[in-house]
Amino acid sequence: MSAGAGKRARVSRRDFLKAGAAGSASLVIGFYWGGPAQAGATADAAKDFEPNAYIEIHASGEIRVIAARSEMGQGVRTSLTMILAEELDADWSKIKVEQAVATSEMKYGDMTTGGSESVRSSWDPLRKAGATARDMLVTAAAETWGVPASECSAIGGSVVEHKKSSRRLWYGVLAEKAMALPVPKDVPLKEAKDYRIIGTVKPRVDGGAIVVGEAHYGIDTKVPGMLYAVVARPPVFGGRVKKFDAEKAQAVPGVKKVVEVPAVEMTPLFGEERPANSGHQHYLWGGVAVVADSTWQAIAGRKVLSIDWDPGAGAEESSENQRAACAEMVKRPGKELRKIGDPLKAFDGAAKKIEAEYELPFVAHTTMEPPNCTAHVRDGKCEVWAPTQNSGGMATALASALGIPASAITIHITLLGGGFGRRLNVDYGVEAALISKAADAPVKVIWTREDDVRHDFYRPMSHHRLRAGVDAQNQVTAWMQHIAAPTTDGVYVGGDLPDMGGTEVAGTGLPGGVVPNYLLETSFLHTRVPRGYWRGVDPTWNNFVVQSFIDEIAAATGKDPLDLRRELIATKAKPEAGSGDQPPVDVARLRHVLDLAAEKSGWGTPLPKGRGRGVAAIAGWGTYLTYVAEVTVANDGGIKVDRVVCAIDCGQTINPDMVKSQVEGGIVFGLTAALFDEITIAGGQTQQSNFNNYPMMRINDMPRVEIHIVPSHEPPGGCGEPPVPSIAPAVANAIFAATGKRLRRLPFQTGELVKA
Amino acid sequence: MDAISITVNGKPQSVEVTPDTPLLWVLRDTLGLTGTKFGCGMALCGACTVHVDGEATRSCTTKISAVAGRNITTIEGLSPHRRHPVQAVWLDAQVAQCGYCQVGMIMTTAALLAKNPKPSDADIDDVLGGHICRCGTYQRIRAAVHEAATKHTPQLTPAGETR
Repeated sequence: MSAGAGKRARVSRRDFLKAGAAGSASLVIGFYWGGPAQAGATADAAKDFEPNAYIEIHASGEIRVIAARSEMGQGVRTSLTMILAEELDADWSKIKVEQAVATSEMKYGDMTTGGSESVRSSWDPLRKAGATARDMLVTAAAETWGVPASECSAIGGSVVEHKKSSRRLWYGVLAEKAMALPVPKDVPLKEAKDYRIIGTVKPRVDGGAIVVGEAHYGIDTKVPGMLYAVVARPPVFGGRVKKFDAEKAQAVPGVKKVVEVPAVEMTPLFGEERPANSGHQHYLWGGVAVVADSTWQAIAGRKVLSIDWDPGAGAEESSENQRAACAEMVKRPGKELRKIGDPLKAFDGAAKKIEAEYELPFVAHTTMEPPNCTAHVRDGKCEVWAPTQNSGGMATALASALGIPASAITIHITLLGGGFGRRLNVDYGVEAALISKAADAPVKVIWTREDDVRHDFYRPMSHHRLRAGVDAQNQVTAWMQHIAAPTTDGVYVGGDLPDMGGTEVAGTGLPGGVVPNYLLETSFLHTRVPRGYWRGVDPTWNNFVVQSFIDEIAAATGKDPLDLRRELIATKAKPEAGSGDQPPVDVARLRHVLDLAAEKSGWGTPLPKGRGRGVAAIAGWGTYLTYVAEVTVANDGGIKVDRVVCAIDCGQTINPDMVKSQVEGGIVFGLTAALFDEITIAGGQTQQSNFNNYPMMRINDMPRVEIHIVPSHEPPGGCGEPPVPSIAPAVANAIFAATGKRLRRLPFQTGELVKA
Repeated sequence: MDAISITVNGKPQSVEVTPDTPLLWVLRDTLGLTGTKFGCGMALCGACTVHVDGEATRSCTTKISAVAGRNITTIEGLSPHRRHPVQAVWLDAQVAQCGYCQVGMIMTTAALLAKNPKPSDADIDDVLGGHICRCGTYQRIRAAVHEAATKHTPQLTPAGETR
């Protein structure tokens, strides 16, 4: 990468930007691109930093952005380029986005791609960097012409104009001169009304490669001398290899080596230093790897491996036991996380009491590109090619597992065939490196779909007890939620009880701040089943529960579900987001998407018998979204989602078409889980294995989706995760409207809907 | 291991693999044609779809011995100019998100349109219902298939050349 050859002096974070040179006649702007940990934060303001992102403007006119965000289908390379091109007033077609290579030499700090953060955390740094470069180019043009810079302006398309003399210069020829200029501070940013690129529809920068099969994913990696491997992993979570016999596997043609993979504890990290959740551990459970000349030979070798496993204590675990334990825990008081007023007293004295329990299962990510990683460990160094959302965390885990310094590690981030949070985990990278080391060769480790489904970091299961009290005036005066669940990050190995006040309660805030008496309690389910972040994260459970329960209250009080939502957020109380990393909720914006969805969906108009309409809303990741779903329920209980109307306010949109893509995809992701998906445990093992028993939504299940984006110049909100959580409750509420039956367990148990 | 002969994208190939090796892994590991993707290994997701003598076929469950002497078309050979009408409409409609499953979708759609130039929604469900897109691009896929059907002539061969 040519930027690596540029001057990279350490500069103060206060300076933010640094100009330098890369090769000849290029202007390079290095800048600090905060990740999720730094977004909006000013910690260590005085601490030195190295730029972790670069813009290069070449004499050829080519503009390169070295981007530190992983592309996993969300179009991040396109949207980030658009933000930069706007402030830079650049020729959009001349901008090339390159994936940064993670090395300690060129620090990318926190390169985590998750939490719907990429655009949100890039919005300010990218605009500032673009505006600064543009200002320097304008100054360079003014000096060339000998006129005041105030008379010159960038007019788009990488051109500076001096209007008085009708002279124009192109960025390419100005780059060298601009490079020598001091970096200006606090260059003003454009006003939204002047945007030429932001907010317009642009095609994906990498779309062309995809349709001709040339998009290069991790699984397509090939390096000289590379061998292929698959791994037999302990079927029981927490199990270990006792002994194994490799004789038959060794006899399979093409099999080169059979090596044991040691078990490794990997402290979960986002980026290089931010601990994800204290007291938790990510395990590489170990296993036996078959290394061969081709994938198929490795698979054939694994089939005839003979392994004696020590299942460990995890073999006692089952979904039955886990569900029973949670159901028991919510009967007793849990750990109080938030209490407003006197909820028990208000509930006891309520004119009407509403109680319900909800359940959600473990679910898997099943990225279409299964986990895989190519690694080459040699001479005390490690090079990996990984489809990862978390190269910083992977580098740290690799250094620890291999006993080498982080400076000896290079990570090439490939395209990701889906991420959804699975690739925030770094297990598959550490595993590949250990196998490469043992095999003394570059090795590509491929996970079959069965490996993926059985050894995921699952979205946690959960059980919820909800209670609400309504007074004589038909007003909700008490709301209580008790969550029984495991925590979300790996396996808890800390002291008595983990802190469940973070991500596990995200999405509970809304009734919390608006009902006068409120109680949020948690109980912890200990399990060896590893957990992880799954697109939409824990609002996928809390939003399902809260948005379903609002409808239960509406039914009990004889109110329209949409009206009750309007009523709840019309109070003067301030809603809480329910999690530390969620921005505060703007009630007016939430109200607007409720109204817009109601209007566009024809809320309140009659539907034929057997059909129903349901609403659900969410405020999270800086975005506001309402779904109205229409369903048909057949006599045999079959659920068909016919239509989904979405109103979304995600602040300033960068590329409205990609916002729509994310909403369409979020609906499918959430609906797949609502209709089909459940990971169950028996004997400490995952019982599902592939798409035959862990089915996915398909084209014939796809509802008609209509998306209405609220025009806004508020800062951009997230778009990857907000569309996921509310689809399940919108459909559950529609099913209730159609049938009068309330489904409180996911996936929907359609047997309850069968007509006698 | 005896050599097995196949024709891939018009080029004769001789591969030395065990007869039970799936065509998918021959394409990817032996011939280096990585445009065809591995998704499930059980013909459940469609990511590995190629054409065998013009028929959309799941390469992950097709043994190489079963296609000896046959003509295989992969995404790399779908169109000599890399611009099969299906590829073109896929780009116009901005179908892809991560893109991993799209190659299989495109191969199936090309084979469908060669046989059935004006597919109904039910026809589309019938063949593309065998595919999975985890990013959830289904609405755009359906629109793109209809668009492709209006745009190109019914004489299209699976390889995108007119007869």
